[in-house]
Parts: sequence; structure tokens; C-alpha cells
Amino acid sequence: MADDRQRKFAKHMEIKYTKEHGTNKMEGGDITDKTVEYYRLGVEQNPRKLEMKKAGQDIAKKRGLVGYNPMMHCGGIPLGQRALTPSFLSGTDDMVEIDDLHYVNNAAMQQMWDDIRRTVIVGMDMAHETLEKRLGIEVTPETINHYLETLNHALPGGAVVQEHMVETHPALVDDCYVKMFTGDDELADEIDSQFLLDINKEFPEEQAEQIKAAIGKTSWQAAHIPTIVSRTTDGGQTSRWMAMQVGMSFISAYSMCAGEAAVADLSYAAKHAGVIQMGDMLPARRARAPNEPGGVPFGHMADIVQTSRVDAEDPAHVALEVVGAGCMLYDQIWLGSYMSGGVGFTQYATAAYCNNILDDNLYYNVDYINDKYDGAANKGTDNKVQASLDVVKDIATESTIYGIENYEKYPTTLEDHFGGSQRATSLSAAAGSAVSIATGNGNAGLSGWYLCMYLHKEALGRLGFFGYDLQDQCGATNVLSYQSDEGLALELRGPNYPNYAMNVGHQGGYAAITSGAHAGRGDAFAVNPLIKVAFADKLLPFDFTQPRKEFAKGALREFEPAGERSLIIPAK
Amino acid sequence: MAYEPQYYPGATSVAENRRKHMSGKVEKLREISDDDLTLVLGHRAPGSDYPSTHPPLAEMGEPECSIRELVEPTAGAKAGDRVRYVQFVDSMYNAPATPYFRSYNAAINFRGVDPGTLSGRQVVEARERDMEEIAKFQMETEMTCPALASLRGATVHGHSLRLPEDGVMFDMLDRCRKEGDVIIMHKDQVGRPIDKKVNLGKPMSADEAAKRTTIYRVDNVAFRDDSEVIEWVHRVFDQRTAYGFKPEN
Repeated sequence: MADDRQRKFAKHMEIKYTKEHGTNKMEGGDITDKTVEYYRLGVEQNPRKLEMKKAGQDIAKKRGLVGYNPMMHCGGIPLGQRALTPSFLSGTDDMVEIDDLHYVNNAAMQQMWDDIRRTVIVGMDMAHETLEKRLGIEVTPETINHYLETLNHALPGGAVVQEHMVETHPALVDDCYVKMFTGDDELADEIDSQFLLDINKEFPEEQAEQIKAAIGKTSWQAAHIPTIVSRTTDGGQTSRWMAMQVGMSFISAYSMCAGEAAVADLSYAAKHAGVIQMGDMLPARRARAPNEPGGVPFGHMADIVQTSRVDAEDPAHVALEVVGAGCMLYDQIWLGSYMSGGVGFTQYATAAYCNNILDDNLYYNVDYINDKYDGAANKGTDNKVQASLDVVKDIATESTIYGIENYEKYPTTLEDHFGGSQRATSLSAAAGSAVSIATGNGNAGLSGWYLCMYLHKEALGRLGFFGYDLQDQCGATNVLSYQSDEGLALELRGPNYPNYAMNVGHQGGYAAITSGAHAGRGDAFAVNPLIKVAFADKLLPFDFTQPRKEFAKGALREFEPAGERSLIIPAK
Repeated sequence: MAYEPQYYPGATSVAENRRKHMSGKVEKLREISDDDLTLVLGHRAPGSDYPSTHPPLAEMGEPECSIRELVEPTAGAKAGDRVRYVQFVDSMYNAPATPYFRSYNAAINFRGVDPGTLSGRQVVEARERDMEEIAKFQMETEMTCPALASLRGATVHGHSLRLPEDGVMFDMLDRCRKEGDVIIMHKDQVGRPIDKKVNLGKPMSADEAAKRTTIYRVDNVAFRDDSEVIEWVHRVFDQRTAYGFKPEN
């Protein structure tokens, strides 16, 4: 089966390596060639590098201080000794410059993280109980609508209670709003549609039923504070900003006394008791507030990405979109910048979401599983194969060897994944996701990940950088142990999990394995239905149903971000 | 009967080559002079003394210590050498060595070494003269093909790239070239030009490289065909998994 298969990466490899881009002379040849000519053309061969070079020269002239100069590389030998080739975002035909996949150069990537960091979910029921039981104020759908109208004025920075207040300019904070959702269809019917995240409308019927059953009659607000506020402060600001405006809006909407003790209860509910953060606070040695990327569990990441509700019949696609989003956030932004600094982590991540190499491996696995295990890779619960070490070994071994052999049969893919860490990410994400899709069990998928690492190391005599020895040679020992600090359900593990904290190329894969388990079962969510619903919202600037397509738009400079400051800076 | 280390499983030529690298029983193919080695390593001028970071141990008046009595210091440690490195890059197109097997070779057969194993490079740090011993051993034996492997302290990109027509692994800094039928190195490990061209010897033919390599490749010895190695990996995996689950059993 493996040899006859049309490779999903073939078209991208052909354009990348046998067609000229810019003036890189990559014309001709075949993607299976084992030899190639290196023209050593430097940055002059690539349109984006030329643009950057000119910008560097202009900046130096303008400010009287040198800056970007490609000839500073290696004492005068610039990048581009091998051909500088573009990349395709996997699952799309969008060809982009690889520099434009650094998050600094990509507004969509920035906005994806902005949209997560500035989001917080707040329960409404505690506040309503305080109003009703303590103060005797009647709460009805009409009062809730009025409150939500008030809060949509206040949350961006509008005053509601006091005289002579400064306010934020609405045009700077137009991405800020709140919507509500509930598992109670009767209440939902009474809520003004502009305020409602309609579970019945946004999710397939089967998923909507699961989510409503999980949420029950409870009611929640999905609040998104202004991007500009979130960028200027930090993730910890999200719940504080929200809670202050929520408190003020309750006072205004329900005509409360600004100083009465019940306000403290409302604040406590909004700041602590009824809050769902996207990410947990990190311990002192990593010292980050809630809603910073190091605290976003893999299960949350799986729920933030929305592909599962628009393409539920294709669990592999769901996992692949989570890989893209997860690698971008965890590798490029969290480990790449927060934890290490620098620019080098980008290509660890892009290997997992560019040029269809991982996609090809995973879809091969789906076919393999469906052939051998009677359709176990299709969406469903009755068709899953029981998670056992024998099944893990069978699927992960086949997946790994198929992926490794592709690098050998198609040398251009090896050149594309030029580092062992890139190959390890791609191979293990394919193996792990395949096992999780087949079994519906995230930890079985994780087990497949580690076996893939062992096989990869032995096949090629190399793996990734030093960290892969640390994490991947001992990882199998904590897959099935649930003792404290030794093991945990994958859904609840996160970037700060022991051993995971400083190793690029893994966390997006772990998030994908998590999502694969649930998408494979047809679950509506991985770990938190509230998060799944909060991001089922077309009004968010970033489209979480298709992260990879959005990254392409960012790279092509077609993405419209939020939080821009043009209004308050001199026109150019 | 004396214990014979088995080193590595597998019934293929790749597995056998891995056992050879690990055991250190490898064939010597070429000579690299001490001065040439010093030049390409780039840590000191050929013929110069080894810089030291402390006086010879014999002059240090070390405290009484049973471990010190048990362990004979390496020559470099005895002399007080500084710690220096040698770093190799091995092509995935059938270079004889792979990073792990360079590390195993160093760790099993030499003392006082600190190997680091990555995907595109493999570094050994040791006292300078001890490091040179390892570097010379690996460069002169079948562990190295001068076209498919090279010394690179920095800017190591190339191990996974397609080979150019002359068969010399891509090097952004162009440290090695094929001249006539031999490979010469005209820059040191970190790409600084050196005073003379150092002859690293003849490259292996494609057939010879395929015969001596320690990497499995589908176009040579496929990993999937070495069932004993796969079985062994599965066993390691089973045991690590089971140990974490219930160590008391």
C-alpha cells in the first residue's frame, strides 16, 4: 500500500524544489533526486530577503545606526548558500515565504494568541443567585439582556456608573465584547441573538447535545477584553479587566449601590469562584500569570481549535489543525520567545504544519488503521480498537517506518525537514495521533509518540537535539502511571508538565494527540465544553476552525488583525 | 568463559557496523598527522604547547582521596589541559557514522569524555590531548568518510541535504572540497581559513559507504528488514512503560 500511494506532499515538493522561486534557480529535477546543485546565491535569490535587506539599509540611513544586514551572517557569508525555497501551509495551496511564518512577521499568528490570552469565561449563575437570594432582585431574560448590553459598553472601557470618567476610544477596542451561552434552550431562546453563542446553531446536532448535557442549565459569559489591553499588560489582566467591568455593569444594570457588600460577592465570583482561565498560573520559577501560554493545558488547546465542529467526520484533519495551532503557540511563542528568546524556534514548528509531510503520514495511518482494524480511524465510539501495548506497537511502528522511508524515498522531504527535531515532531505527531484516533485514548496516543521516538533514534542513529534524550527516552515511563507528579491524563497535561517544560517540537503534537482521541470518538470537546463554546464564535478576528489557513493569510499579508493603533498615531 | 559484550542487536550489515563502532574494533583507513589534526581542529597552533587551566596534578598536592587513588587520570587531566571539543557532522546519505554511534564509540572506548548527541552533529568535549586522541581515531578509521562527514564547530547545516554531484556533503562555509581524488580541508572547524590545505584522504565509493554505514536506509538496508532490532526496541519500550506503571512488580 505504501509504495502505490500518491503522496500528499508531492505537489508541494515539486513546486518548492523543482520550480524557480525568485531567482533561486530551482528549475527542473525530480523530488526523488538524491543530488542537486548548490548555487550559493545568497539573499539576492529571494524576494522577501531583498525587501528585508532594503528595509535594513533604509533604517540605517534614517536613524544613523546600522541594523539588519545579511552580510553580517557568518562573517560575510549570507544565508542562501542552499536555495531559499518557499513553503505551503499544509491543507492549503497557499505558498508563503518562510520568514513570514515567524510570528513577528505574521499578524494572524499574533492574533491567534491575542484571542486566546484576552479570553475568559465567567459564570453568571453565582452572580444571579447573589442578586436574587441576597438582594431579592429579580433576574429575568430581559434583565440579562440589559446587563449584556451594558457590559458590551463597559467591557471595552465605557463608563457606566461614575461621572467625569475617562473612557477608551471605541475604535481602538472594537474587538472587545461579551457573549453568553447556556445549556438551557428555553433561556437561550429568550436571549437577544446578538449576545448569544447559539450552541444549536454552531455545532452539529450530536455535538450540541453533548455540550448542552455537559453544561446543563448553567449560564456563562465568554468575555474578550481588548487586544490592545492584553498586549500592553499580560494574560493575568484578562480576568481583572473583565471582573471590574462586570462588577460595574451589574451595579448599573441592576441599580445596585456601588458600595454595598454584595458587590464584593459579585467581584469574587467574577475574579475567582466562577472564572475559567484559558491557562493556569505558572509557578514562581517560570513566573507567569494566568492566561499565559505556558499554562494552557493540551486539552484546552484541543478545545480552543474549532475544526472538530466543522469537519467532524475527519478526525485526522481535526488533529492536524490542532498541531498547527499548538506548535505555533507552544513552540514559536511560548518556548521560542517567552522561555528562550530568539528566532530559531520557528522552523521546529513549521515542519509540523507546512508542506503536507505530516498530513501525508497521518492520512496513510488512517488508511492503515481502517484496513487493519475495521474502520477504527473513522469517527465513532463502537468502532474503536482497544488500547493495548500491542496495538500501540503495531500502529506506531508502521507509522514511523512509513514516515522515515518517505524521507529516504523523497530526499526533498528530508531537505525540507532538515533537522532531526523537525522529523521527530512530524513522525511522532503522526504516530501518536494515529493511535489516539484509533483507540479514542489520548494516553495510548502518547505511548505511540514515545515508541516512535525510540524507533526513529534506532533507525537513523540520531533523533533531535539534546532535549529529546531527556524527554523522549524516559517519557514512556510516565504515560500510564497516574501517581502524582509522574503521570496524568494527557488532556490535563500542559507545557509546564515535568519534562515538557523546555523542549520544543513536542507540545503541539501532544495537543494534537489529545484532540485526535476525542475527534476519533466524535466527542464534542476534549476536556472543557465551556472553552469549546467560547471559541465557536465568528466574531473573533482569528478563525479557529482553520488555523493553518489563517497563518497563510497572515504570511500573505491578507489577515486583518485587531488592536491596531493607527487612529492615534500620525498618518503616513 | 570471559564475558563478550554484545553491544547491539541485529542481523544486518548496519547492525554489524554499529557493533564495530561501539566496540572500537574498526579498520584504520588513512593517516592524519598530528599537525594536520591540530590545524583543522583550530584550537591551537601546530607544535605549540597545550594551554593548561591548572598545574599538573602531580604538582597540585591533592588531598587524600580513595577515588583519586582508584582512578588513573587521563593524560590530559594529568597535565592540566583545558577542555576543548571536536564536532562531527555525518551525512544521512550513508556516512559511515551516525551521531549516536560516534557518542557510543567515545563513551565506551575512551575515558574522560563528554559526548553530546544531536541529529545533525555530534560533539565530544574532553581535555585537549584526550580529545585529539578520539578525533584522530575517528578520522583515521572507517568511522569517517571525508566526503560524507566533516568537522564543523559551528554552522553545521548539511547532514540531511541532498549531495552535490561531487559527493561532498553540503557545507555552508565550504570547509572541505574535493581536489583530484582526495578531500581537502582549507578552513578549520569553525570556518577560519588555515595556512595549508589538509589532505583528509580519498572519499569512499558509494558502494563502500553503503557497506560501512551505520544508518538504515530503505535504499540500502531497510530498518523494517532488521526485525531483531525492531523487536529489541519494542522490548525496551514495553519495559520502560511497564516500569512506570507498576514498579513494584
